[in-house]
Amino acid sequence: MVTEAARSLRISQVGLRGVIGAGMTAAHVLDFASAFGTFLEPGRCVVVGRDPRASGVMVREGVLAALLACGKDVVDLGIAPSPVIQHTIRRLDAGGGISIGASHNAASWNALKFFGRNAIYLSTAEANELLDIYHLKKFSFVEWNQLGTLLTDDHALDPYLDDLAAVYDFEALRKFRVVVDCCSGTSSLILRRMNDRFGFQFILINEKMRGVAFAHEPATNKDMVALQLAPLMQPLGADAGFLFDADSDRVAFATENGAAISEEMVLPMLADYLLPHGAGKLVITNVSTTALVDEVVVRHGGEVIRVAVGRQAAIDALSTYRPEQIAIAGEGTGATMMPQFRFVYDGIASMLALLSMMRERDAKLSQIVASYPRFSILKGQVPLVTHRIPALLASLRERYADGRTSVVDGLRVDWPGRWFHVRVSQTEPVVRIICEQRGDVPRELYGTLIELVRSFA
Amino acid sequence: MPRREHLLKIGVSGIRGVVGEFLTPALACSFAQAFGTYVGGGRVVLGRDTRTSGEMLTHAVACGLLAAGCEVVEIGILPTPTIMMYVAATHAQGGIALTASHNPPEYNALKLFNAQGLFFNNYERAELIDLYHQSDFHQAANEEIGGIIADHDAAPKLHFEKVLAHVDAERIRKRKFRVALDAVNGAGAVTTPGFLRDLLGCDLEAIAVDPTKVFPREAEPKPETLGAIAALVPRCHREIGFAQDPDGDRLAVIDETGVVLDNDDVLALAVDAALRRLPGDVVVNLTTSSVIDDVAAAHGRRVYRTPVGEANVVETMQAVNAVIGGEGSNGGIIFPAVHLCRDSYTGMAFLLDRMAETGEKISTLAARLPKYYRHYGKVAYQHGRLGPLMQSLETRFPAAEKDRSDGLKLLLPEGWIHVRSSNTEPLLRLAVEAKSQATVDKLYAEVLRLFANPA
Repeated sequence: MVTEAARSLRISQVGLRGVIGAGMTAAHVLDFASAFGTFLEPGRCVVVGRDPRASGVMVREGVLAALLACGKDVVDLGIAPSPVIQHTIRRLDAGGGISIGASHNAASWNALKFFGRNAIYLSTAEANELLDIYHLKKFSFVEWNQLGTLLTDDHALDPYLDDLAAVYDFEALRKFRVVVDCCSGTSSLILRRMNDRFGFQFILINEKMRGVAFAHEPATNKDMVALQLAPLMQPLGADAGFLFDADSDRVAFATENGAAISEEMVLPMLADYLLPHGAGKLVITNVSTTALVDEVVVRHGGEVIRVAVGRQAAIDALSTYRPEQIAIAGEGTGATMMPQFRFVYDGIASMLALLSMMRERDAKLSQIVASYPRFSILKGQVPLVTHRIPALLASLRERYADGRTSVVDGLRVDWPGRWFHVRVSQTEPVVRIICEQRGDVPRELYGTLIELVRSFA
Repeated sequence: MPRREHLLKIGVSGIRGVVGEFLTPALACSFAQAFGTYVGGGRVVLGRDTRTSGEMLTHAVACGLLAAGCEVVEIGILPTPTIMMYVAATHAQGGIALTASHNPPEYNALKLFNAQGLFFNNYERAELIDLYHQSDFHQAANEEIGGIIADHDAAPKLHFEKVLAHVDAERIRKRKFRVALDAVNGAGAVTTPGFLRDLLGCDLEAIAVDPTKVFPREAEPKPETLGAIAALVPRCHREIGFAQDPDGDRLAVIDETGVVLDNDDVLALAVDAALRRLPGDVVVNLTTSSVIDDVAAAHGRRVYRTPVGEANVVETMQAVNAVIGGEGSNGGIIFPAVHLCRDSYTGMAFLLDRMAETGEKISTLAARLPKYYRHYGKVAYQHGRLGPLMQSLETRFPAAEKDRSDGLKLLLPEGWIHVRSSNTEPLLRLAVEAKSQATVDKLYAEVLRLFANPA
């Protein structure tokens, strides 16, 4: 009997992920980090950081041992947000880096995320090579007198903030009164420093970083925002509220009047803000993201490129365009990458962009949200039974033959003002079901879909 | 059959190998996780010597221990005996030292200690090896994973207080001995200068005391590798010179004329010092010189002999509640009143204390010991050839008293012969001792002849 925790282990192009102990073990960490040390070109250091999970210490020790054994000098940032790790890779002109942390997953999980030169995510070809090295288990360990050296860097935060300050008008943005739910994660490091150094007025809740019991699951979605953050908005007189995942690469938000906003709104709003500002006219997103993106982008004469779900598809799509062609890339989860920040998922930058939008339009967050047509989205999941997936997709396709279908990733069916998407998750053993409709919640369609998918489980 | 290079060995002595392709971080991590599983979680102490691979392996071992649900107490670069005493004193569940002791710098190893701060005995090691091979490790969940605590200062203090309790430190300090030290840039480089200079008031001339540098000489402290300190002692008018191995458990001693004392004689001097202080018997291995028997007899004490290997000596020392023990040839002095492990610091303190007490030079003290001649040799060989040699030897010396507990030891009226198989390398080890050099040469040649042509 394979338990659910044991099935949590995922070794894929995106890296290594799983529930620590039952799924992801020290042996996986050693081998995967050794493969990465073998994969990287020799001669440049590697930057490592982690989120506050207790298992992060164990994972870090394994990562350090493997990289040092491969002859890599390692710069350990300790507990550090992913965007800061990526920034440090560029600043030090490092060969790459590893972020240890399972971002939006529960505290029991952990993961390794790999970055290459210039902190960009590995391409599919590179990720496949890394996987091949991992499976071959032939690692380039060096001799005793060529082992790497371990260095630390306690000052990674300020250069990262300097770069943000060069893009955003800190002087103007700091007047906003902003409540942030740090979810016991690393965003508090950045925000506390912004308060101290630049005079921002972030009011932090769930600020204390925790290794075991996160204040709540660090999922950046509307329900989580509604849980703790939204009710605080009016009592605290806040202009905006934001919620970050554990490693600060995703964000969700609440308006000043206490409304929890769907995480799906982050990308269309940022596209709306960025498209008139830059030369880039392309918005890259996946087939599970809200149709509002299309409406907004068309309004600015831009174009939406829809790819399969997952970071890897977005990275590969990005690499086929020149950076200046692109306005933004992102997904409905609240994870976005902007060209100013060299396409790194950065929740802090996303938050600052939304605040800049408020300032530029001189509008309240609720007013900006209300300026878009209303779409209602429902997301759900059903446990996966792998061998029945093809039959399931075929059956759905026949049943909904009247819509426009896309098979970029699972099955998406579109009707005017309405669509659904059914696909197999890359990170968990589940089938994900998403459907959206202009106006009211597509409860009937969603209910039918869930039932249909369940009938194949 | 070509001679196999033993670049990695996982066995009853733990895990040891050439770092890189052989002793990999993954292997060290798994072994540590097996250890963490075996000791059942709790605090585990982790220290190391100065080998370049120490840092990398520290992280690998910490990873494995944490993954098994242990809390790691990282105590940094320290001598092995210091690490062991810290384990015992802090009531940890166990400890791991990363050191390949006297092996060359490309090697490293995991030395394993139980909750008493003692080397795993043979039974514990066998259980651990089984557990390692079964790969049935405890896989701690996030909430079970402990952290890493650093404690770099407490351990040497603990160790040296225990050593000084068994000598008259005041009379040593009063003498302001002129001492030379060669710490081989090993763990002793961190703690020995302070021990000799600050605690024992010595005027110290030290070489190879930079823990960031590689070993400047062969790691094993034996006469042929100690040229630098042997020359330094007379040149700088030192009264005695000490040389350690990289993890500070073994000691070699140089007299004021620059002669490297025989390690068996150093052990004999330590046995004498110990028996002057405490009542009890002595345990040494089969290959250790008969000089120990003479010294013990002078105190009316008995000597127990064991197979070669620190674990064997320690086990018997526990069984007979011995006062002191050791293994002559390798410079190991074990004095359980301080701790049941080889400890170069106890050796240094004992010798300085005897010099202070008697006012004698170290060469004079050594010269007073009964004089034996020895020849220790080794021959590369294939397994399976020991049996015929043993039979030939027994046939050749039918009247000899025989001990077959580790190879064969023959006690003859004119001396003794010991042949055994090395535990760590494909080598036949030959030892001969007698009262004259001519007898030694004759017996040694006879053993070689029988080895080449078994009767």
